[in-house]
Amino acid sequence: MEQENKLDHGRFAGCHFVRIDGHYQMVKFSKMGHEEETWQEVAANQQANAEAMLMDPNLSGQQKDYYEGQAAIAEYRLANEVPAFEYTSMQQQVIDAHAMLSLVTLFTVIIAAGIVASEFSQGTIKMLLTRPVKRWKILTSKYITTMIYAILLSILTIAVSALAGLIFFGIGDGTFLVWNGSEVVEGSYWIEALKMAALSFASVWIIGTFAFMLGTVFRSSSLAIGLSIFLMFTGIQAVYLLANYEIVKYYLFTHTDLTQFYTGFMPVPDITMTMSLIVLAVYFLIFMAVSYWTFSRRDVTA
Amino acid sequence: MTEKPIVQIKNLSKTIGKKNIIKNLSLDLYKGQITGFLGPNGAGKTTTIRMMVGLMRPTEGEVFIDGQSIQSNFEESIQKVGVIVENPEMYKYMTGYKNLLHFSRMHKGISKKRIDEVVQQVGMQNRINEKVSSYSLGMRQRLGLAQALLHDPKFLILDEPTNGLDPAGIREFRMYLQKVASENGVAVFVSSHLLSEIELLCDRIAVIQNGELIDIKNVKELNISRYYIHAEPNELALEVLSGAGFPVTAHDKGYLIDTESQHIPGAVNMLVSAGAKIYAVQPHRATLEDQFLEMTGGGQIAETHSK
Repeated sequence: MEQENKLDHGRFAGCHFVRIDGHYQMVKFSKMGHEEETWQEVAANQQANAEAMLMDPNLSGQQKDYYEGQAAIAEYRLANEVPAFEYTSMQQQVIDAHAMLSLVTLFTVIIAAGIVASEFSQGTIKMLLTRPVKRWKILTSKYITTMIYAILLSILTIAVSALAGLIFFGIGDGTFLVWNGSEVVEGSYWIEALKMAALSFASVWIIGTFAFMLGTVFRSSSLAIGLSIFLMFTGIQAVYLLANYEIVKYYLFTHTDLTQFYTGFMPVPDITMTMSLIVLAVYFLIFMAVSYWTFSRRDVTA
Repeated sequence: MTEKPIVQIKNLSKTIGKKNIIKNLSLDLYKGQITGFLGPNGAGKTTTIRMMVGLMRPTEGEVFIDGQSIQSNFEESIQKVGVIVENPEMYKYMTGYKNLLHFSRMHKGISKKRIDEVVQQVGMQNRINEKVSSYSLGMRQRLGLAQALLHDPKFLILDEPTNGLDPAGIREFRMYLQKVASENGVAVFVSSHLLSEIELLCDRIAVIQNGELIDIKNVKELNISRYYIHAEPNELALEVLSGAGFPVTAHDKGYLIDTESQHIPGAVNMLVSAGAKIYAVQPHRATLEDQFLEMTGGGQIAETHSK
């Protein structure tokens, strides 16, 4: 089953890339007035920082590993004269491109919320449901369409980031280093970028699924979009409010950002990747079950 | 009728909350027959139709299409059904053709040729490549009919299909449905408020009120031969006509008599020789409207049934 997409999507994506572009311009100009630090100073700072963090007795195992790695990499850079990528280089922009996926979440939410709800509001749902195709198949095709949209938009985002980086900054000098647990080795920044993007995609996926469920259950895309975006912004704040309670470990937004296991920035330090994946999977199954159950049982009166 | 029905509705009931919207409705529809579905507003026409096409679940009972239940065997049974429920809503941002193409993909084995054929049949070939948002209501109805006919259904179910069609369009639509019914042997089920339209279109009429089927009639049976006679003085006319053994009922200024045409000259002669002045003698057809109002008791909106 093919779902015809509305022309609007192209326009959405268009704005999105203009925004990425704008971001690069800003980065470029904000750098102009500053006195440049040398890479040695940056690395020394990083090492000092990581070592200071390691003194903190409350660090979880994962954070400890992370900061040890950071310290080791910084030390290696200084000892062997291996500079990191400059911030204003195409490579560094590619590595950081995953941060742009929060915008992809926004667009995905809009599509996910509307893809079922709009069929109801246009009245086309009755045309769709009187075809010789079971309801669960129709819903599945809608979900797959939404996810394909999210994946393509993510890929485009990374590609446009790389392209914009290339145009505005060009390829910079430097080497990407990783800590493999025992020693510092050279790594591919593309692989790092893809890894981070894939981890960031978890949030696109689960919030998109949430919006999809709301759109299916309430048949109103504006409600679904509003609620999803509201939760997307406030949900993460609530993690801090709940941080002292046990329940935070089962709260969706504690786990939506999987990159936290690779950036050391963890609001709730004692969770693990496995635990996050399990929690996300459970939420996903609940969202899906609710969507399928309501969609296939609903009396259509639109 | 010994023929096997294409559609069987068996003891269909629908309860929403505490309201019994449809009560134990059973109806058979046959090949090549056009059945009209009439009822006052709120009688449950649309609910029945929605249950027949799987948009709503019946609380009890089942609908069988060509022997297969729409509730338990949805894909097999619905592919024999062409549906227009109320206004045929299409994707407005796509052309008529793209809409048909989109729906055709959800059926098995519909060729591009078949789409062109259907477009031709509903007379949309000149506008089919324009966006649906530019269509008038009548054109949308035609497109709706086209999508319902795409897969060559054995059973067509239409909810208010002539809404928004112009008189020429209605006539064409009627001719077309009658052709589809007689030539392709399609069973057609049409709900409408336009009684005159139903009368011209249908072979059979099912009347629903308060969720119950109150009558099924063949349209031919409705046409009892009746004449209206207005003669003065009235008392004299009544005396003469009832004296001659005609069943007489008062109507308007004169009387209605149930009789065949060959008895009319005799009746006129009798009135003339009795010295009555005859003002009018004309065949009288009880319209479906009269009968409908009679059957449904004035056609008021169904009262709420709470138990």
